[in-house]
Amino acid sequence: MSRSTPTTAGANSVESLEALAFELRSKLLELCGTYEGAVHIGGDLSVADILVALYHYGLNVDPADIASPERDRFILSKGHAAVCMYIAMAMRGFFSYDDIVDTYGQLDSAYGMHPCKVQLPGVECSTGSLGHGLPLAVGMALSARHRGEAHRVFTLMGDGETGEGSVWEAVMAARSNELGNMVAIIDRNRQLMTSFAEERVVFEPYPDKWRAFGWNVVEVDGHDMTELVTAIDELPEPSSRIPTVIIAETVKGKGVDFMERNLAWHAGSLGAEDLEKARASLSSGHQGETA
Amino acid sequence: MPVTFTFGEMLSARSVIGTTLAELGESHDNLWVLTPDIGATLVEFREKYPERFVDVGLAEQVCVGVAAGLAYDGNIPVVSGMLPFLSMRALEQIRTDVCYPNLPVKIIGTHGGLVGNGGSTHYAVEDLALMCSLTNMTVTSIGDPMMVGEILRQSMSMSGPLYIRLAVGKSDKVIYEAGQHDVEIGKGIVARDGDDVTLFTHGTTVSQALDVADELAADGKSVRVVDLFTLKPIDEELIVRCVDETGGRVVVLEDHVAYGGLASRVADVVADRGLKLTAFERLGIPQVYAGFGDDEELRDKHGYGHKATVEAIRRVLGTG
Ligand SMILES: Cc1ncc(C[n+]2csc(CCOP(=O)(O)OP(=O)(O)O)c2C)c(N)n1
Repeated sequence: MSRSTPTTAGANSVESLEALAFELRSKLLELCGTYEGAVHIGGDLSVADILVALYHYGLNVDPADIASPERDRFILSKGHAAVCMYIAMAMRGFFSYDDIVDTYGQLDSAYGMHPCKVQLPGVECSTGSLGHGLPLAVGMALSARHRGEAHRVFTLMGDGETGEGSVWEAVMAARSNELGNMVAIIDRNRQLMTSFAEERVVFEPYPDKWRAFGWNVVEVDGHDMTELVTAIDELPEPSSRIPTVIIAETVKGKGVDFMERNLAWHAGSLGAEDLEKARASLSSGHQGETA
Repeated sequence: MPVTFTFGEMLSARSVIGTTLAELGESHDNLWVLTPDIGATLVEFREKYPERFVDVGLAEQVCVGVAAGLAYDGNIPVVSGMLPFLSMRALEQIRTDVCYPNLPVKIIGTHGGLVGNGGSTHYAVEDLALMCSLTNMTVTSIGDPMMVGEILRQSMSMSGPLYIRLAVGKSDKVIYEAGQHDVEIGKGIVARDGDDVTLFTHGTTVSQALDVADELAADGKSVRVVDLFTLKPIDEELIVRCVDETGGRVVVLEDHVAYGGLASRVADVVADRGLKLTAFERLGIPQVYAGFGDDEELRDKHGYGHKATVEAIRRVLGTG
């Protein structure tokens, strides 16, 4: 089995992906500033580069054909980063960004705090309760294998989320069923909601845990687009027999100095003043990078 | 006994949990507090008694299992978290590790009802049905933030498990004045007297029920509001008395699926005791996944908001 359709977005260069990630972060801040309720901005910013690398490079998906059997499946298991996924998908043509900003969290909106597949077709799974995504991925990957389809099933999880026992049960099931068409991505931002990793929950030696369960482990800087793209390019064939985990080292709140590695910014909303500060911080970091 | 109440003051039930647990930690050196990464309001307890504070991270099942283990050894564990995940992910631990050996584990949490705008993954709307079905479990749903502290204090001497349900718990209306009524697990509170119809409710909708009673009072209708904050064991005698004293006219209002929660508990008492009803209506969440929106908007959308409650009472009174 080989991948039948090349990804249309696969042509994007690293530079253009970086520009898209900047745009995604800017849009996230705008929403966080206009919406009255809390936005999970910390965990959104930590996965912004990953979601751009997926929706604008790695995933074989087509906004014009969201039910294509050949499409890659993507499960946002850390469902609280929904709005980051909505915007990344909007930028790829799935949804209208204006609709997201205008209706987010409001009555009858399809764009809620956690993704709902029924209300928002294009989203692969309804998630939000942590620890559910990887078992679903095992089911989808088994089905693909059974039908002889060559797509992959990607699952994005928080590192804190992997404290759930269901994750490790699925890790064993994936390996036992030799599902090389599965790719788990860990947003390794080393923060949970109320504590830092290692403070109360010991994760290390983290990559070794996955290795011990027999997975192929790839470690990347989750904010380095070149590394993300390379990891995607070098994924084993979906027909192979070992599932892959990409452990993406990230920073919660990435791009906004006062949010980075700050437990207070797991979720929040930005007032007008903070929004300006956040924008300024994001821009100065971006100029630093592109200079 | 009628109770007086004051509207208006807002208080965070979560902060009441925090200070009460810190206070109880001092008088009970076998009190432990456990949480699956939802410990922001438990800071006071954690700082005072770090050795009796356990944050297991994202692991609800383990959290309840560890609590049961502590209780086996003579400790009083309080598990604090978000109810959709505690009541469902850890359901078997609650049933088999806590209720089966009848251990004094307390489960307290937020997000009971269509509150918080997190969507259906984050609304505990079947939890009371699940908890009420468990042998040995005592089930409460609290609307008044101050009452949470009282219930926790009383629970220290309980020998079996207890479930305490709150809404979001960030900013709640103080419904009762301190000391003006007896709060006792297992006994309902007549929050407002009346004799045309009884409105049974619990949790967040108590304050809505009181508003509705006020509105109808202006119309000359006398609505009795009864806060059945303990769903199990249910206060049978109070239900029997209210049915009798308000002409067999009953409305049940709750932020929970309409079948399986308080309405079903009340209906069971009515059937088991052979009570004669003139009219009965239940207001709660229909069999739908509710979607997004503010608490009040969702209640209106799903037919158990303020207006719908007024209309239901008018129908029951034959004036609708
Ligand atoms: C089963 C479950 N328990 C608790 C929560 C509440 N919650 C949402 S996000 C979060 C912290 C998640 O940490 P992590 O997975 O590391 O995500 P990130 O730090 O990237 O936000 C918690 C406790 C939830 N959504 N689901």
